[in-house]
Amino acid sequence: MPQTPVTNSSATTSSVQSQSSIADQVQASQTSIAAILTKIESVVLGKPKECKLALACILAQGHLLIEDLPGMGKTTLSHVLATTLGLSYQRTQFTNDLLPADVLGFSIFDKESNRFELHKGPIFNQVVLADEINRASPKTQSALLEAMAEHQVSIDGVTHELPTPFFVIATQNPLFHAGTYPLPESQLDRFMMRLSLGFPDLKAEKKILLSTSQRTNQRDKKSPVENEVVIDHNELITMQDAVSQVSVSNDVLEYVIALSHVSRSAYTSNISTLHTNQMNEPISCKPLSPRASKALLQAAKAMAFIDNRDYVLPDDVQAVFYVVCQHRLEMQPSQQLGASHSDLTRVANQILKHVDVLNPLGHM
Amino acid sequence: MIFRTKTRLSPTTKSLPQEKNQPKHRFTLNKKTAWLLLLCQCLNISVIAMELSTWMLSVIVLSLVWQAILLNKKYALVNKNNKREKNARVQKKVVAKRLFSGVNFSTISLALFAILGCIAIAVTAKQVGLLISMLHLLCFSYAIKAFELKARSDFYQLSILGIFVLASSLIFRQNLAFSMLVLALLVINLAVLLQFFSTAKKFLTDIKVIVILLAQSAVLAVVLFLFFPRLSPFWQMPTNKSAQTGLSDSVKPGDIANLTRSTKLAFRADFNQQSIPNYSQLYWRAMVLENYDGRQWTRNKQDSRIRSKDNLATKLEYQSNTSLEQDFRHAIVASGVAPLNYQITVEPSFQKYLFVLAPAVLATDEEGVISSINNAVNTKINAGIKANEDYTFSSEKIISQAQSYQLTSYLSAPLSLVLSNNSRNINLKYPQGSNPKLEQLSLTLKQDYPEPEDRAQAVLDQINQQEFSYTLQPPPLSNNSLDQFYFDTQAGFCVHYASTFTFIMRASGIPARMVTGYLGGEYNGSNTNESNTEQTQQGKTKGHLSIYQYDAHAWSEIWIENKGWIRVDPTSAVDPQRVNSGWSNDLLQQQSNLNNDFFSLYQVKNIKWMNSLRLQFDALDYQWTRWVIGFTSERQIDLFKRWFGKMASWKLALIIAVSLTVSMLILLLLLHFINRAKRIPEPLTPWQILYSKTLRQLAKQGIEKPVSMTTNDFAKFIREQYPELALSFTRLTVSYNALCYQPLPLEEKQKMIALLTRQSKEFISILKKLN
Repeated sequence: MPQTPVTNSSATTSSVQSQSSIADQVQASQTSIAAILTKIESVVLGKPKECKLALACILAQGHLLIEDLPGMGKTTLSHVLATTLGLSYQRTQFTNDLLPADVLGFSIFDKESNRFELHKGPIFNQVVLADEINRASPKTQSALLEAMAEHQVSIDGVTHELPTPFFVIATQNPLFHAGTYPLPESQLDRFMMRLSLGFPDLKAEKKILLSTSQRTNQRDKKSPVENEVVIDHNELITMQDAVSQVSVSNDVLEYVIALSHVSRSAYTSNISTLHTNQMNEPISCKPLSPRASKALLQAAKAMAFIDNRDYVLPDDVQAVFYVVCQHRLEMQPSQQLGASHSDLTRVANQILKHVDVLNPLGHM
Repeated sequence: MIFRTKTRLSPTTKSLPQEKNQPKHRFTLNKKTAWLLLLCQCLNISVIAMELSTWMLSVIVLSLVWQAILLNKKYALVNKNNKREKNARVQKKVVAKRLFSGVNFSTISLALFAILGCIAIAVTAKQVGLLISMLHLLCFSYAIKAFELKARSDFYQLSILGIFVLASSLIFRQNLAFSMLVLALLVINLAVLLQFFSTAKKFLTDIKVIVILLAQSAVLAVVLFLFFPRLSPFWQMPTNKSAQTGLSDSVKPGDIANLTRSTKLAFRADFNQQSIPNYSQLYWRAMVLENYDGRQWTRNKQDSRIRSKDNLATKLEYQSNTSLEQDFRHAIVASGVAPLNYQITVEPSFQKYLFVLAPAVLATDEEGVISSINNAVNTKINAGIKANEDYTFSSEKIISQAQSYQLTSYLSAPLSLVLSNNSRNINLKYPQGSNPKLEQLSLTLKQDYPEPEDRAQAVLDQINQQEFSYTLQPPPLSNNSLDQFYFDTQAGFCVHYASTFTFIMRASGIPARMVTGYLGGEYNGSNTNESNTEQTQQGKTKGHLSIYQYDAHAWSEIWIENKGWIRVDPTSAVDPQRVNSGWSNDLLQQQSNLNNDFFSLYQVKNIKWMNSLRLQFDALDYQWTRWVIGFTSERQIDLFKRWFGKMASWKLALIIAVSLTVSMLILLLLLHFINRAKRIPEPLTPWQILYSKTLRQLAKQGIEKPVSMTTNDFAKFIREQYPELALSFTRLTVSYNALCYQPLPLEEKQKMIALLTRQSKEFISILKKLN
């Protein structure tokens, strides 16, 4: 079993004193978290689970990819996330003729000062809303790559730091839609979560219709709730620090390792053994990378934090497993065309079912 | 594992006791498996169908057809059901109800049917014997078990029954082709069993898996084959006449012609490295028929003890008494006739007689006559075989499975030079006036040829010169009159000629008798490709002779002073080819007209490569019979002796038993340790032990936690399904979670463990109270 380089051992070994302080911190943050959640849920109606996950993603310092059919509220969710957390943001509509410079910015020669001056692109915001990211060409998509991974961009050979906190919230249409370029796997892996909102239920849709019809009466004025700031970005940074200090017990650590290990053994050779051992259907998926396990653990911590706990439970891991891992498990493009979300859910489900929660590494 | 959780974890009822009483899971086979199972049943039954009586067979066929109809109906309904699913849910429920009531054969009628069947089996038991009636019972249960496939165990039972049916078919036939068929069916049976577990896979993949598994287990099979004690069957083989094949102990003219239509194997002879005698020397003696009542020849069934007394006077006649046999042997060795050693393997004939090239003795260890077959002579192999004073051999028991014995023959040695008075009388007796014309002829011959040998030759010349013909379809004789044959029809088969000749000899005062057996045989060995197997067998080594039923023959023996019994085959006078090299083409043509089976053989023989293929398969079958079927308990003991030296059999058995047990134990321990090392890398913490103990208690009540379910989710599940357990279990879960996942200072942890211990005890007691 390869050791996963999880860098959070500090949390597990931290002393009792610091634990109590984290517990206090968690306690202190609960009111603001509750306020943020109510806020988001009041805009994105009927999707409390997805809202919680999106918040967890931000708290875990991860980038978020929202994938769904057009008109499901992807952009609304990303807007409300950025505004509620008091972050500077800019929305960029990705099209197939969008160039990297349009995202990053470019240097232009200033006659007066007689030197090149940088015109910062939308990437220099705390939150970048990349709308319909998969409509842009791969070149532009990969321009985001450095920014997402290193929190810095290089323009004309000069490296510029990006503001903290920095997030990319991208939305995309399902891959089989016309005029889309699939995101490179490397880039997909850099998104901590891929959310899918899904259709609202009857009640929620009624509410949505009601609220929009009210809004059209007021013309272009946005509804007041949408612009309300709940916390500022400094408080967000404190919360993020607290999240990374949430304690992870050995059992949970092993659980995360076991999950990614199952996906790897399913990928390499043991498909048949996995198949006959416990399940009736074979698993076919890509293996989860150590980055994925890291993201999984981080997201689980954030979930624990939101749930007012200073320690992670396997429940947290399970809660984020689908959104963190599904897009990383996707198989070859040929299968991708046919593979619907429910298929991938099935695969993720099987991996979950293979691992004993009480004794994760017991069968390996 | 998963099956258990699947079935257990879908309780729809709220409280515990109710849930226990209800069937948890309705057992259904999917369409493919169900049909495959039916196919399997048909195949298995068809293998054994020959042995079942007609009424039982028809009952089985009826129930199989019924099953097919039910299955058809059921899956038609299911299909419809699926189509309707979208439209109406209410309707679906109705359909489902009808579906199950329709498919499940009503219990009462099934029970009635079963009881009736059992009564019928019991009634007919006396008639058909124990073995066959048990077989009936087995097949009957196999046929009707499929009506009540209500649980998984029923399915298993059906599969095991099927394998039993297959195995029991081997009681009756053990040749290579049949064994291979049974093996193929076994593979199919097991693949169906596997199919049940992996419905998604193709049937062919299942077959592949099974073949691999069987190949792996072949090693164990070989070990068991070599070491497992061979027990004689607990049952009695059927002794009814219909099972008997081959020659019968009474012969009428025209009898053997029927037998020659069969292409079944009678026996095989292995001469090992020695050269095989000429075809015309291969008179395989089976029975000597001395009594003639004017219609048929029968064996002399006089009390053998009286005759053996008689034999004491006649030194050269021998029997199983060793001293007499020794004398005979010494006499022959002194006469300088070369011995011929060979081994004969007879196919089951359900009779007692054996085959021999007269005169012969049973091969023994003694020097001078050591058989070269198998390098070491197996004296045990000849156990249960006795020599009769008429130079035939017979088995003490009815030959119900392939049996081997080793003989040493002295082909040119004379047969009983001294004839007792009793024997002389018997061999001169004939019903006076039964065939007046022949009697007349005999008297004339007696006057013309005073020397017995001349007289015999004269008769042969007559047959040769007159318009006699050799045919398989002789015109019918009224009352088996030999006169009519000899003077009118003049067409007949070997028995006609042999009986007529013997009759003439007896009537003219020469002791004569009828001998039946087989003539010739098909050579199968290294130079078969030359295809002239029936020409000269001189110089051929390695290989064996296969003697088929169509080689059956009858000939005469006359006794002449100082020469003993001399073989005279009147058939040679009419059809020399039959005697020298086998069937003439004319006869083969006749045969093929009579019998399709034979026709195919005749055709095959004419196509060179097919014939060589056939011969090769025959050689393989011979090796199979010799080494696998012929591996009797005697051979097994012999083998052990060679391996372990001489030892008391109980000691040997003990050693084998102990070594097997010890090796199995070692293997088990090894496996155990390997698994252990894999499974438990770290010792469990006290809270893990406590929690899993609680889970085990819950599992006993049928509430099982799927491995992938978290403790909180499981607590929630308990809260929803079993409210009376909710409170204590939730408390327990909270403590467990805290211990397992929360960073706690040491003292607090100790306290928590104590708390968890209490909670777990409390919970278990609540659980027990509820039960």
